[in-house]
Amino acid sequence: MPGLAPLLLGDGRLPVGAYTYSAGLEPAVAAGLTREHVPALLRARLRTAAVTEAAAAVLALRAAVENPVDYGPVQRALAARTPTAPLREASAALGRGVHRLARRLAPDHPAVTALSAVRPRPLRPVALGALGAVMKVSEEDLAHGVVYDELQTVTSAALKLLPGDPLDTVAWILAAEPDATAAVNEALAVRTPAQLPVRTPLLTEQWALEHARRERRLFLA
Amino acid sequence: MPDQQPRRHHPQPLGRPRALRLGVAGPVGTGKSSVLATLCRELAGELAMAVVTNDIYTDEDARFLRSAGVLPTERIRAVETGACPHTAIRDDVSANLDAVEDLEEEFGPLDLVLVESGGDNLTATFSPALADAQLFCIDVAGGGDVARKGGPGITGADLLIVNKTDLAPHVGVDVDTMVADARSARDGLPVLALSQHDPASIIELADWVRSVLARHRDGTHIPTDPGPMAPHSHAHHDS
Repeated sequence: MPGLAPLLLGDGRLPVGAYTYSAGLEPAVAAGLTREHVPALLRARLRTAAVTEAAAAVLALRAAVENPVDYGPVQRALAARTPTAPLREASAALGRGVHRLARRLAPDHPAVTALSAVRPRPLRPVALGALGAVMKVSEEDLAHGVVYDELQTVTSAALKLLPGDPLDTVAWILAAEPDATAAVNEALAVRTPAQLPVRTPLLTEQWALEHARRERRLFLA
Repeated sequence: MPDQQPRRHHPQPLGRPRALRLGVAGPVGTGKSSVLATLCRELAGELAMAVVTNDIYTDEDARFLRSAGVLPTERIRAVETGACPHTAIRDDVSANLDAVEDLEEEFGPLDLVLVESGGDNLTATFSPALADAQLFCIDVAGGGDVARKGGPGITGADLLIVNKTDLAPHVGVDVDTMVADARSARDGLPVLALSQHDPASIIELADWVRSVLARHRDGTHIPTDPGPMAPHSHAHHDS
């Protein structure tokens, strides 16, 4: 039986602003993606963006328990692998919510005070690494949380953007289990920021740029 | 990528509290954006102000306000709410807090930040984690019985606005009865019958905001949460 912290990390109700984000679904829908393609999109995210995000969060968690704490290398490595400005901005906006929560839970924790030194702002995986240190979650639980959150973000947004039976979304997530496990294992195997996988999904980047210029959006990105 | 570093060129003067954060909630179409435009028009000359909007589609209300020309456009921010406007003002206020803090950092010190909720239903009210005070907007065109139906915004918001009173004769609503119903639901909290065509009502609205701001500054205003449900409505709704 896991503790409560890993469950909290994966809970979409954690009040850190996640509901404003569709993990690329809204831009994809605008580009023509339909409901039948959601499982394929989930697999694609699990082989690309989710691996990089989970690996960066784990690297940040490792940095968070060092003395002194320095998130600079992982923040820079992740920013360099997120070439599209709107996606970096979305990640920073989501990271801000995580940072606020970490400050609330443990304002004086070295993992949290070091976040304030990250410029321009901590990207979400970096902030999650700090939160993970505060909540004392394992690397594996953190990686699982990030990967699960990716799935849950896309499928929750699908309820707004591609309406259908909400029960379908649970089946989609369960069907993605093998890819989710592979993403977690791959993320855990990354040892240094230089090894952070470059898994930029090109169409996602293109759609994100188009989304940022669009009016009448529901989601941040 | 815009500069996201915290900017603190304008620290709050010593002893002065941060800007009053005033929420504006209420159902769709009751005139929230017009109330905001009116407040900007009446108060922007004397107060440093900024606005955050929460329309379901990002920037509908922000565009309305920008086109109204009542405040410099860069002081009006739209926040994406993932089609969850009630969540953004109550369950998880992160996105709105970010926007408010950004505006305070960039344009501070500010006196007043208005946060407009996306049009929702009668149960959507602001968490005190986001708004120091809130006004709730209903209108005569929504029917004379709305005030009687109650709900936390109607019973507990710091100010209840019964808007568009000029339309009352056209929709068969008696404003005095509607206001009386509202007053009886609110235990002495203020009710304002508002119309864009009634200058006295607009002055009363601006004066109410000034009075809340004065109490915010001298520390006597205590944010209160209208709550997600009207306290006395459970017996009817749960059975």
